[in-house]
Amino acid sequence: MRRPYIDFMGNRKWLFIISGVVASIAIVALLMRGLTFGIEFKGGTLIKLPQRENVTTQKVQAALAKAGMRDAIVQPALTAGRPDGWLVRSSISDTDRANEAFREVASELDIPLREARSSVIAPSYGATITNALMYALLASIALILLYISVRFEYKMSFSAVAALVHDAVITLGVYALVGREVTPNTVAALLTIIGYSLYDTIVVFHRIRENSSHLAKKSFMDMANDSINQVFMRWLNTAITQIVPVVVLLSFGGETLKDFAFALLIGLLAGAYSSVAFASPLYAIWKETEPRYRALKQRYAKAS
Amino acid sequence: MDSKQWNYVSLAVILVLVVVSVVLFWPPARQIRQGLDIRGGLSVILTAEKANPTAADMDRSLLIMQNRVDGLGVSEATVQREGSNSILVQLPGVKDAQSALEAIGNTGQLEFVDWNSIPATEQVKWETYMENKRKDPDTKPPATLKKGTYEVLLTGDVVTAASPGASQDSPGSYEVNMTFNAEGTAKWKDITSAYFPTRRRVAIVLDGVVESAPAINSAIPSGESQITGSFSADEAKRLALVLETGALPVTLRPSDTQEVGPTLGQASLYQGLIAALAGIAIVAVYLAVYYRGLGVLSWLALGLFAAIYLGILAGLSRAGWFALSLPGIAGIVLSIGMAADTSILIFERFREEVEMGKTPRTAAKTGSKHALLTSIDADIVTFVSAVALVFLAIGPVKGFAVTLLLGLATDLTVGILFTRPMLMILAESWVPKMPALFGVTGGGRDA
Repeated sequence: MRRPYIDFMGNRKWLFIISGVVASIAIVALLMRGLTFGIEFKGGTLIKLPQRENVTTQKVQAALAKAGMRDAIVQPALTAGRPDGWLVRSSISDTDRANEAFREVASELDIPLREARSSVIAPSYGATITNALMYALLASIALILLYISVRFEYKMSFSAVAALVHDAVITLGVYALVGREVTPNTVAALLTIIGYSLYDTIVVFHRIRENSSHLAKKSFMDMANDSINQVFMRWLNTAITQIVPVVVLLSFGGETLKDFAFALLIGLLAGAYSSVAFASPLYAIWKETEPRYRALKQRYAKAS
Repeated sequence: MDSKQWNYVSLAVILVLVVVSVVLFWPPARQIRQGLDIRGGLSVILTAEKANPTAADMDRSLLIMQNRVDGLGVSEATVQREGSNSILVQLPGVKDAQSALEAIGNTGQLEFVDWNSIPATEQVKWETYMENKRKDPDTKPPATLKKGTYEVLLTGDVVTAASPGASQDSPGSYEVNMTFNAEGTAKWKDITSAYFPTRRRVAIVLDGVVESAPAINSAIPSGESQITGSFSADEAKRLALVLETGALPVTLRPSDTQEVGPTLGQASLYQGLIAALAGIAIVAVYLAVYYRGLGVLSWLALGLFAAIYLGILAGLSRAGWFALSLPGIAGIVLSIGMAADTSILIFERFREEVEMGKTPRTAAKTGSKHALLTSIDADIVTFVSAVALVFLAIGPVKGFAVTLLLGLATDLTVGILFTRPMLMILAESWVPKMPALFGVTGGGRDA
């Protein structure tokens, strides 16, 4: 099979512009619209009701109002393109009140409890969850940085982290744009994206490092471009095999699984893009400031 | 051992692993424990109202909560500490979530009860339970007594101290000493004076469960009593704790209450399984189309990965350390992608080295080595995130991290013990004969 040869480095200005524009949109969305946090963080009630032929969104709303959940937001759920019941969110965080309302609504709509689900979370617990997740996030980023710095070099480490921030910002920006709720599952997915983003970047860096050990008669930039192209099919196939199951999860999975899949999908796309189009050019530019590679660049550079 | 022998040893090891795994996980519906969000049931996290409860207070609360949950008679119920100030109660498959919530949520009540006022059927049930318990300590106590069906003599708040001690009369057994406050002492004096001539019994009841029912042997005017009855050291310790901690030492409030209908849980499981299987199928077809002969090798690798993965999950389920939750399924799906990636890394590197002019045999050896080193580096990074989540996160997110962690470990095992040796064996025999089938063109010839 013929391998395509793409000039990533030659087009690095355009790639940076694309990254810059998308990241800017994400930042603006984050600043203007902000993130919507799930009940796990701020306390409240989440109820899932199953699909019933004679039940409409209006009926669910009416039943909720009757049961004392006036502030409830009712959202029809979709699984594999078909209606799959309703998701109800309310700010009521008192367990007794919420449970009573849950039972009233279910009996009003003639829905057996065995087909429904409810979760009630106290506002104070949200802080505990937020703290725990923040610690996990910080600890894992610190450990990963340490590992790459020790295993490879700090310039790789920082380029990889720049790409990681790029991916995380874009993922959160999409959440702000579409107004999707951020849950602890989203944060877990975000952590995984951070892992994946680095993983994908490392595979490219591995090859750049291998090729740089016997670099001669070629600029670092051109060698890096060759390296990306050498691992290109692997990069593409990996992206496809990672993204396909996640897309399937997003369309066929229930609510909890969708939660993961949405963040994973955006993150995987951003992560795959950034490893070849953001982290690698950034690293190559940085490396070419070293005297040895500057000399090579002056004599052999093709990519400008 | 040369590399050829090593390859066959690796394959033998992986074969053994697979056989053990299949034995462990078959049938999967029974062997892999399902979490509460899939089985259905009630899960409550109770958090102390006080900001920093002492460890001793939390231990007592845990014991009391354990007691209440035992009284509900739900099999496989678990009560465990969650962080420094919370207790997680899980009641899988509980029928009456409403009354379970009430039982867990009340503040707790220790009572001294006139044994004769307890209905005779309940007395018999309790005596039978005590007898069975001597043979099997795991015997569950009978259902809780209904309020108002018995006469309360004293409530637990009169107890100021209780401690276990070695028995003076019968060496080797233990007794429990308890002290009452002034109010309790006065009432206790009257009760014991009236009860001792007939050796009438007083039941110590915690949250409707009879903990002990000693007969009164003498009038006790001092407020210092001994409960004797050939207790073991543990039993005496437990009874002392019960007496001393009658009511919860801290107020516990539900901070996270999840009630999942079993039908809904199973539906979510099927949605997840369909998604996972569809994902595997599409990836498998893609790999076969792109890598042809090697694609089939990747099917085998994915198959072995799945078998060992399920085996590990089943083994951990058996030990009670794992239960599959919905976030766990997300971790599994992500692991499938990573497992496919290890094959891709190996195949790409192999093809590339053949194109560069190496013989398939050499390319298989050096290429797969390089690819696995890359794979290990990349996996470690994801591993770190997952470990951070396992240790620092709380709640359902942990399930995601655990399956991801196990998936990564399984993936590397299969890559090292199967994909690489198998590729090396194929490269010596089949690949040179049918280069087109394996998608390798060019390349050197073995001399």
